[in-house]
Amino acid sequence: MFGDKAFELVKELQRTSETLPPFDDDGVRQVLEEIKAIFEENCQQAAAYSHSGDRTLWPLLSFRHAAIQRNKRCLLAYLYQRLQRIKAIRWEFGPIVPNDIKNSFCEPETQWFNSYSKSLATYMRSIGDGQGIDLTGDLKPPKSLFVEVRCLEDYGKFELEDGEVILLKKNSQHYLPRSQVESLIRLGILQHIS
Amino acid sequence: MEQNVREEDLELSDDEELITAQKVLENLENAWLNEKFAPELLPQQTEMLELMLGQVAHMEENIKELDKNDFRSIAHRMELERIRYIIASYLRCRLEKIETFTKLILQEEESRADEEKRMSVEETKFATEYHENMENYFKTVALQYMPTLQRSDADQRIVRPNMMSHVFVKAKETVPAVVVGVEDEEVDLVAGSQHIIPYQLISDLVLKGSVQLI
Repeated sequence: MFGDKAFELVKELQRTSETLPPFDDDGVRQVLEEIKAIFEENCQQAAAYSHSGDRTLWPLLSFRHAAIQRNKRCLLAYLYQRLQRIKAIRWEFGPIVPNDIKNSFCEPETQWFNSYSKSLATYMRSIGDGQGIDLTGDLKPPKSLFVEVRCLEDYGKFELEDGEVILLKKNSQHYLPRSQVESLIRLGILQHIS
Repeated sequence: MEQNVREEDLELSDDEELITAQKVLENLENAWLNEKFAPELLPQQTEMLELMLGQVAHMEENIKELDKNDFRSIAHRMELERIRYIIASYLRCRLEKIETFTKLILQEEESRADEEKRMSVEETKFATEYHENMENYFKTVALQYMPTLQRSDADQRIVRPNMMSHVFVKAKETVPAVVVGVEDEEVDLVAGSQHIIPYQLISDLVLKGSVQLI
């Protein structure tokens, strides 16, 4: 049936539990080929129609046209959804993507990610007359100034804004200002314990 | 929250700034709520934002002079954190809309006069880049391989917000005879009253500031 493969692409992406499944090169190519095949068939028949004037071809022509559009829509939806996930990765991990996720990117996606990352960084730096705000921080309404954190790996020295230096050793626990350790928590170096 | 700011002002600023700083925060909070609940992108508040950021920097300086273990220092820090959250959340919310409705917003901006632009210069730059990036990507991966006939319909891909989605509003002042529903039914919004209503019908009141989304 027309459009099955394209629909499958979208469904697969929706079903998966991975952050980002590998780019389905094969699936995308098959859909593109299907579009091309349908289009060529249509062209032939359109030519035949202008030759013979046989109106019974009309429904078939519009059916194929609809099939092309459906394929296209599913394909773009697939690509767009992937970009949405990639975008979420930028917000979560910052400009440097962990390798296991990066392997799932296809080349144009890596390019897209880099330009997006750059635009976003430029924008964030330019807010408030060049003062700059990191919008990827302060994600939740603040409840308390300090949080209790446990260190999950040896991180080394970490300097707080007031100049105090603390040593983050594996399994050590600290009571630190939330705003300054938020990024470390998201990177999985510290764990928030309550 | 307001209580804290007032203390802040009494302590840190002279009388003239006292009203302003508080008003600025109030305006920013309102803009934030409106932006959060409105389906479309609302006019930018760059001026408010810059004032507030200036104030935040000012407050930070002053807090540094306080003793770290002073109770007031903790309260003020907390307050700063909250303001920072509001600012970040507000800008994030706008960015999200810009990313979702990029093409539509860019088109609308083009038809607006300079003083009516809804995006700040920085946001416009971001939106343009984002849009180009997106189009480029689609072209590289898929569109260039599709038959010519299909290439030109970029307009079909424009995402539009649902302007008829329902919102909660609170009237700040009495607005007589607001048309609600298809049959020209009219309702008076009494000051302080709350309503659920499709956004489109009261969007002009939101822009004028007569109602507040909640």
